[in-house]
Amino acid sequence: MSLDMTHDDVQAALAAEALDALDGPEAAAVRAHLAHCDDCRRELESLREAAASLAHAAPRVPMDAERSARLRSRLVARAAADAGAGATPPRAVSSTDAAGVDAGAAGTRVIPLASARRGRSWGVGWLAAAAAVLLLIAVGTYAARLKGRYDALGERYAAIDTERTELVGALARRDSTVAALSGPGVQVIELASTQQRAPGGRMFWDPQTARWTFFAHGLPALRPGREYQLWLITPGGPVSAGTFKSTPEGLAQVQATYPLPRDQLRAVAVTDEPEGGLPQPSTTPIILGSYGESE
Amino acid sequence: MGDGGAATRAEPDRELVRRMAAGDEAALGQLYDRYSTLVHSVAMRVVGDADDAEEVVEASFWQAWRQAGRYEEGRGGISTWLVMIARSRAVDRLRALRRSREQAWEELPEPSDASTDGPALDAAESDELRRMVATAVATLPPEQRETVELAYFRGMSQTEIAEATGQPLGTVKTRARLALQKLRGALAVLREDAR
Repeated sequence: MSLDMTHDDVQAALAAEALDALDGPEAAAVRAHLAHCDDCRRELESLREAAASLAHAAPRVPMDAERSARLRSRLVARAAADAGAGATPPRAVSSTDAAGVDAGAAGTRVIPLASARRGRSWGVGWLAAAAAVLLLIAVGTYAARLKGRYDALGERYAAIDTERTELVGALARRDSTVAALSGPGVQVIELASTQQRAPGGRMFWDPQTARWTFFAHGLPALRPGREYQLWLITPGGPVSAGTFKSTPEGLAQVQATYPLPRDQLRAVAVTDEPEGGLPQPSTTPIILGSYGESE
Repeated sequence: MGDGGAATRAEPDRELVRRMAAGDEAALGQLYDRYSTLVHSVAMRVVGDADDAEEVVEASFWQAWRQAGRYEEGRGGISTWLVMIARSRAVDRLRALRRSREQAWEELPEPSDASTDGPALDAAESDELRRMVATAVATLPPEQRETVELAYFRGMSQTEIAEATGQPLGTVKTRARLALQKLRGALAVLREDAR
């Protein structure tokens, strides 16, 4: 059923469309109009952006740090496996894929049984009926057992697949670490403590592949809600190379990819920042290593 | 262009998505570092449960990874793109929960924010956009604010909102329009200031 909407009707409905709040027929009519009306398309785009800004009004709720770290490594491992799996980069993919569609439930199969035909005599009829009932029970039991095995296998498969994804990711990370350290043009920048305790770090920078691999040791324990943030200091200002936490022993490793011309690095630094990091450092560096090839 | 923090920040953002499109998983990690709190906040506001929110965050960043190649530079930039994905995944999740539990709207867990106090800004929240939007939302007339919040955070259709609030459909539409126009105005001011 199609709904007739004038340009003005559509204009009046665009805010609801921007909020995904239109009901079926009206949404269809609006979309049909949008296909040939540039004005309405532009208006909708700006209203959508306004709607998206509502997200910033949600109270800020950081994820539990451990949970978040686990999720982060899961995502990165999945992505590594994904990028490594197909020669085709992760391009055209149906949106349902991304929606995290659950594998279809192994729905109960209906096994059609030919309807038992009435026997000639009562005796035969009873026997046939009893046999049919037994058969039905047997088939039902068998089907239930198969379903149970199917489910169990499905779970095992999922567990193995997850493990495999994690292993592939871990291996890929190790490979890329080794590659990032062993390149012919790899630069090494030592970071020394600016405080009394003795934390330190070493940055391996491969300008050719834009890979940065950073190791730190002796890092002091962080207060709750804080993280370390790694900075590349350039003439244009500090560039964040990510946030990280150290192990209880004060060790940490960070990898980043960031293309930077050789003459643009002045120093590498680590600061103590609120969880999630900041666009600019807000504290003095805990460790700092200056760099300048020309000097 | 400008020399402000926003410009230097916007550039690496785009760069991250470009690297993700090229299959660099480390870029996804960095995008996550930058925006997981925002995405998680949206997810929590919509689904109201930490486990569900975590699933939403995972699905959102995974979608960003898979669709990085199709990202088109919009006016809102990467955070708007991510937030749209997150909100959409969160509302999907909420609707699925609603279907599975056959719950009435009233029975859904109330989002943590009773929506009278402003967002909890902390030291990390130097983000101008956030403050401006929070202010703009806070100054909306309550009925307009309710309308957009029911649609945006509860995933309700205009008909459902009309039923829930006892208002005619036309009123719901008008309130949605006035509210979004006001927010758009606030964003425009912000952009002017950033210039």
